[in-house]
Amino acid sequence: MSKTMTVDVLSSIKGAQPSEAVSKLFDVIKNAHPTNNNAFNNANNNAVSLNDLRDDMIIESAAIEKQIIKENFPNEKNGFLVVSKVIEE
Amino acid sequence: MDSQIKQIHQQLVNKQITCTALVQEKLDLLKQNTHHTVNSLLDTQALELAAKVDVKIANGETIGLLEGIPFGIKDVYMVQGTYTTASSDLLKNYKSAYTATAIQKLLDAGAIPLVKENCDSFGHGSSSENTIFGAVKNAINPDLVGGGSSGGSAVNVAKGYTVFSIGGDTGGSVRQPAGYNNIYGLKPTYGRISRFGLMAYASSTDCVGPLAKSIEDIRIVLNVMSGKDIKDQTTYASAEIKDESISNSEGIKTIGYFKNFIESDAIDAQVKSDFLVSIEKIKAKGIEVKALDFFEANTLVSTYYTLAMAETASNLSRLDGTNYGERIESGNLKETYSVTRSENFSEESKRRIVGGNQVLSQGFSDEIYLKGLALRDQISENFENDFKEVDIILSPVTPSTPPKIGDSLKDPHAMYLSDAYTVGFSLGQLPTLTVPQGTATGLQISAAKNNDELVLKFANFLKDMI
Repeated sequence: MSKTMTVDVLSSIKGAQPSEAVSKLFDVIKNAHPTNNNAFNNANNNAVSLNDLRDDMIIESAAIEKQIIKENFPNEKNGFLVVSKVIEE
Repeated sequence: MDSQIKQIHQQLVNKQITCTALVQEKLDLLKQNTHHTVNSLLDTQALELAAKVDVKIANGETIGLLEGIPFGIKDVYMVQGTYTTASSDLLKNYKSAYTATAIQKLLDAGAIPLVKENCDSFGHGSSSENTIFGAVKNAINPDLVGGGSSGGSAVNVAKGYTVFSIGGDTGGSVRQPAGYNNIYGLKPTYGRISRFGLMAYASSTDCVGPLAKSIEDIRIVLNVMSGKDIKDQTTYASAEIKDESISNSEGIKTIGYFKNFIESDAIDAQVKSDFLVSIEKIKAKGIEVKALDFFEANTLVSTYYTLAMAETASNLSRLDGTNYGERIESGNLKETYSVTRSENFSEESKRRIVGGNQVLSQGFSDEIYLKGLALRDQISENFENDFKEVDIILSPVTPSTPPKIGDSLKDPHAMYLSDAYTVGFSLGQLPTLTVPQGTATGLQISAAKNNDELVLKFANFLKDMI
């Protein structure tokens, strides 16, 4: 796990490189001086209250929903949806 | 302009027009249009729904206000059985299995969806040029961009192809194209409308937003879509905004504007002078105007994009050709992911995903991502303090007029900076409305969180005044 992962590997995008346009944005943040270094105060707290959590429930999908989900998987073999070969390493 | 929804409703009830003729006329306009606003037409379903409305009217049954009203949907919303492409190669053949809550509420009210509308791929852009369906052309001058990312939606409304459209606003994607095409566009308070079924770009600022030609139509559509939804736990319950409660400007005594937005070198001279003329007119009506301090445009844009890229890198990781999207087979699963994403994402989407993974990676996250979050909190605190002093904040929508088609793609950094006036209100999760008045690309009206009513109220006041 100690090996360094480059952005192309992290992003699963072949040949991906950091871009100059984006680096300029990051430089502004690096040089900024926020007065609070605590990023977890409450200004943008959208977390749900424990009292407000819904119960776990199982909702049966409609037949049409199941059918469309299958249509979105183009590869089918013997009634099973087929994914690519597994990673062997 | 008065409410088109109410006008059409009356014509339908009075049997001056049939719903089928109305829907057919709009479908024809959409089909023939050369502004590249259409990703797919929902013609069969729309005509079936229209026929049902006509039967109801013929039988003397009462119809609801939105029943039979034709509307458009940005192609990032799930509508069961329709192609939902996000204007991307990755999802060009993807069909929605279910319908977004906001859209379902409109369908339940009887509104008729006509079209899935062109936009920047996954919302990644400010010009609606980052799309596989061709750059959206501006409604007023087709040599210019339609704005983005909800460009197709704004142009359809401006041209009268749809009565209203539903866009999505993450950093200005409803407000900026509304400004570029001289119509109204609202980003409600974050959480007022459920995001369930809206394809996620940056989940902490994504908002569902209506575009229309009148404040009244924005109000009607907003009321229908608002409300708590168990499928989006960031939603909150909100009261209906009544027509009479926004018809006068009572209670608005002080407004503010950000000095540095107007004193910036980047602002177009005409936009600046038009904005200041509007401010003088407001003062002349006896409203106090305060010049406020705010963060530099560069800081706002950088904070927004840093956080939005981090969120989009995470949200789009599921688009790998196995969980979702067009798969391109390769040697093994990892290679398949990689080739699928390299070939099917646009340059701009790849730039943002890579940027997002950069800031989230070890070594960078403290220096950039966490600092970005701290800056965001400071921006929000700044707003909270401002709204102790003023009722409304007024701003231009954009520093300059729409660019020519082709220019934004050449200089992504310049495109990011063009969002300087919209992104701050997204980070603050504030209700903000673009009105087609005051400058060439309109004015933005913002109020404190959950105060969408005050925004519409001030818009009505401006409508009669400027």
